[in-house]
Amino acid sequence: MAGRKADADFERELVTHLAFLEEEFLRRGLSPADASKAAQLACGNLELTRQLHRDARAFLWLTQAGQDIRHALRSMRLSMGFAVAAILTLALGVGANTAVFSVIDAVLLKPLNYPDPDRIVQFFLASTGAAKGASIPDFRFYQEHADAVEDISAFDFGQSEMGLTSGTPEQVHGIHVTSNYFHLLGAPLALGRTINADEDSSHGPNVVVLSYGLWKSRFAGDDRIIGNAISLDKQSYTIIGVTGEGFHSEPEAQLWIPFHFNLNSTDQLHFFGVVARLRPGVSLAQANAQLNASCEAARRESKSPDPEFHCQLRKFSDAMVSYVRRSLLLLEGAVILVLLIACANLANLLLMRTTVRKREFAIRGAIGAGRGRIVRQLIVESMLLCSAGCAIGVIFGLAGAHILLLANPNALPHAGNPGVAFGLDWRVLIFAAGISLLTTLMFGLLPALDICREGFENVLRESGARQSAGKRTRRAQSVVVISEVGLSVVLLIGAALLIRTFISLSNVDPGFDSHHVVSITMPIHGGHNDTAAGVSGMVRDAQQELMGVAGVESSAATFSAPYASRMGLPFTYASNDSSSSGDAEWMAVSPGYFGVLKIPILRGRDFNSNDSAGAPAVVLINQAMAKQYWPGQNPLGQPILIGKELGPMFNDRPRQIVGIVGDTRDDDLSRAPEPTMIIPDAQEPDPMVEFESRFGPMSWLIRTRLKPQQLLLAASEQLQRASGGRPIGSVRSMEDVLSASIAQQRFNMLLISIFASIALLLASVGIYSVMAYSIAQRTHEIGVRMALGADQHKVRNMVLREGVVRGLVGVAAGMCAAAFLVRLLANLLYGVSMWDPAVFLAVPAFLIFLTAVAAWLPARRAARLDPVQALRFE
Amino acid sequence: MSSKEKRSAQVLQGTLDLIVLRTLETMGPQHAYQVASRLQQMSDQSLELNQGTLYPALVRLEQYGWINGAWGKTERNRDAKFYAITSGGRKALENETKRWRKMSELVERLLLDGTQA
Repeated sequence: MAGRKADADFERELVTHLAFLEEEFLRRGLSPADASKAAQLACGNLELTRQLHRDARAFLWLTQAGQDIRHALRSMRLSMGFAVAAILTLALGVGANTAVFSVIDAVLLKPLNYPDPDRIVQFFLASTGAAKGASIPDFRFYQEHADAVEDISAFDFGQSEMGLTSGTPEQVHGIHVTSNYFHLLGAPLALGRTINADEDSSHGPNVVVLSYGLWKSRFAGDDRIIGNAISLDKQSYTIIGVTGEGFHSEPEAQLWIPFHFNLNSTDQLHFFGVVARLRPGVSLAQANAQLNASCEAARRESKSPDPEFHCQLRKFSDAMVSYVRRSLLLLEGAVILVLLIACANLANLLLMRTTVRKREFAIRGAIGAGRGRIVRQLIVESMLLCSAGCAIGVIFGLAGAHILLLANPNALPHAGNPGVAFGLDWRVLIFAAGISLLTTLMFGLLPALDICREGFENVLRESGARQSAGKRTRRAQSVVVISEVGLSVVLLIGAALLIRTFISLSNVDPGFDSHHVVSITMPIHGGHNDTAAGVSGMVRDAQQELMGVAGVESSAATFSAPYASRMGLPFTYASNDSSSSGDAEWMAVSPGYFGVLKIPILRGRDFNSNDSAGAPAVVLINQAMAKQYWPGQNPLGQPILIGKELGPMFNDRPRQIVGIVGDTRDDDLSRAPEPTMIIPDAQEPDPMVEFESRFGPMSWLIRTRLKPQQLLLAASEQLQRASGGRPIGSVRSMEDVLSASIAQQRFNMLLISIFASIALLLASVGIYSVMAYSIAQRTHEIGVRMALGADQHKVRNMVLREGVVRGLVGVAAGMCAAAFLVRLLANLLYGVSMWDPAVFLAVPAFLIFLTAVAAWLPARRAARLDPVQALRFE
Repeated sequence: MSSKEKRSAQVLQGTLDLIVLRTLETMGPQHAYQVASRLQQMSDQSLELNQGTLYPALVRLEQYGWINGAWGKTERNRDAKFYAITSGGRKALENETKRWRKMSELVERLLLDGTQA
């Protein structure tokens, strides 16, 4: 009852009381006035009475709560082992969940740090399996036909590495954008302005917007910098603005420069992304319907960018995180299983403890503690366990989240932005507190309710003589063991499949030799490097210089190094006297490329210095291309034409196939080698050289016995001299590049394995403690059995059987669940089938073995009991 | 509050609780004034119970769930809060009574023992 209402209520009671007294005195013959006075007197100090009444109401609650907490602390001190085990179990479960959830929270759930982020959408090409790349004709189509959106802006997919060459050369991350990009993202400005439409036109001036960070670090925050020129990729750019602190574009960049699109271009190269904002009042579905109608109309009138043109809008935030979503959700699934096992263990601990304490509760009940009081006592105890476990779990979790981020291979999108810093976030806290509270309350109270149902007397009778776990407790323990085994089976099968995936990936032959090769990237765009003659000349000079460096065996250069992005291009070829077309990956390399990577030339010849710009045009193809397009024939000497109908950007001559090289898996180890055509760098069309150097750095591939850093010390001067002072980007061994390409799989495998190990640990401790405890409970029974003639083997087998039967049921349940759940993993597996027989045999066998061991230890102890002592045991 | 004080207070409390519970069990639902008068009457006026003790006891018993208070009308149509014993209260009364008997028997024996020596 609330205080004020209780006061009023009592006031009414007092009035009645006074009235009764008055009546009484009247009956005794007093005058009304005297009776009233006498009643007042008899009542004594009314204010004091009110106070006492109020105290009684408040005091009871306070003292009881205080008593409960003191009692809980005392009983925990008395059983430190229990408290520590319960708190740690909970902390492990909560910690793992908090860690994964805080990453999911920041990556998947938090909105982008832009105004009205849910209305920012991205264009996808639906005709080519939802690719987010757009070509200039596509962009123009969007601008002219997508009426439901505004601020249509293009931006580079990845960061371009650019050489900032005023002063010390430095590689910076820049992206090309169109003029309304900043308006779309609501970019704040610290200085100046952003790119305007004139500057974005095809012959616009070179202007640059700096990020706050670059402005501070490189230009010391100089506020007179607007209008100054900096040299980017050997070209002069005028600084027109600096973005405000805390603005982060997607992808992250240190500077932004205009695309300078020629909107009349018909080039079909898809090399940028397009985003826009839904117009006010328009829903995503409406915008998509409008866009679909426009596409259809354009296709009918043959005015669409290509005959198959279909496009679609998706929420930008979803599109951005789609590639990490699956692996994050997988992790969440795994940690929830860990939490369930932790809950099972906690339930088991609380169950055992309550059984031990049944007597205590029964006695307390018998001497007058109400059921409510006992339940409350248990709630208080659970709350104490819960808060301790939760607090430690959150600490574990935050540490874990940071480790996750450090270990994370592909820089989770917008994870590092200050606005979305990981840390104490109310959502994470509520999540952690919620799961711990649910766990402890559920499993802390179940046993108490059990006692209440059984009645104190029964409990006293049952536990008074010999403590043997009741049927209900035994059944609950069985459920705990079975679910622990089952959940562990599911997690272990998942972990084993991912481990096998990773092993198969690690054992894949990439088709080239990654040992003793160092890759050095260098942005070379601008100046004379935008022509094939310029680039190949520079590469020849550098190759010469590098041959003079001690320890360098050979070198080569390309824009399409292994695991860097690569283009796919169409080509036409003659088959059966008619012309057919196909698609293949395309790359241009310097002479020596196949030698450095030890890719075998299977037929024909390698490129050599005679394959110059003026020489007959040649091309090498890989084995996959030969098999797919010339099955059972000899492709050598056949002519192909690359990039036909792709627009003037790719105006190539027919090329003669002069050799076949071995297949390489240098894009994605898990994918079969794609048909690939390779041309010599001196014969690359100039517009393609310009395009490649603008969007990616050049990679120097150097075969050497030196370590990457040693090589850098020895060769950087030569590289600088040959390239005319270009900055050096990353320096990595090819082995690192290779292992980075399967980092995502390693990350998945590692985390699931960690979670599976935690699960296994929790489950084995849980199973062992259940078995050990139930033996301890049955000491008397076992004593009787032995006294009646059961021998040691019989006793041991009885206990062992009990454990193993529970284990078997758990394994069976786990297998059923796993067989169903592995479907979710299907897309993440490589080189191992979903229902891999080895995994599905080994994991259950291992768990049955584990249960047997966990049961055998207590079984042996039971068998060695001295019947006399066992009977005396209380 | 020291533990000694608490224990003596509890004994007193327990006794009063016992008396109130017993009264309500035998007399049926009563309001506070009736309980007080009944006690006075039963004890031949020797147990003078003031409101400062009775009302907190009623609060306590109500919070234990041993009695229930509800507003009603007296025979003379006056508003009064009637207290009735609950089933939990009956059980508690039974336990308390047993305990009291045991206790008083023990005390009695102790006292007798003292006089005989």
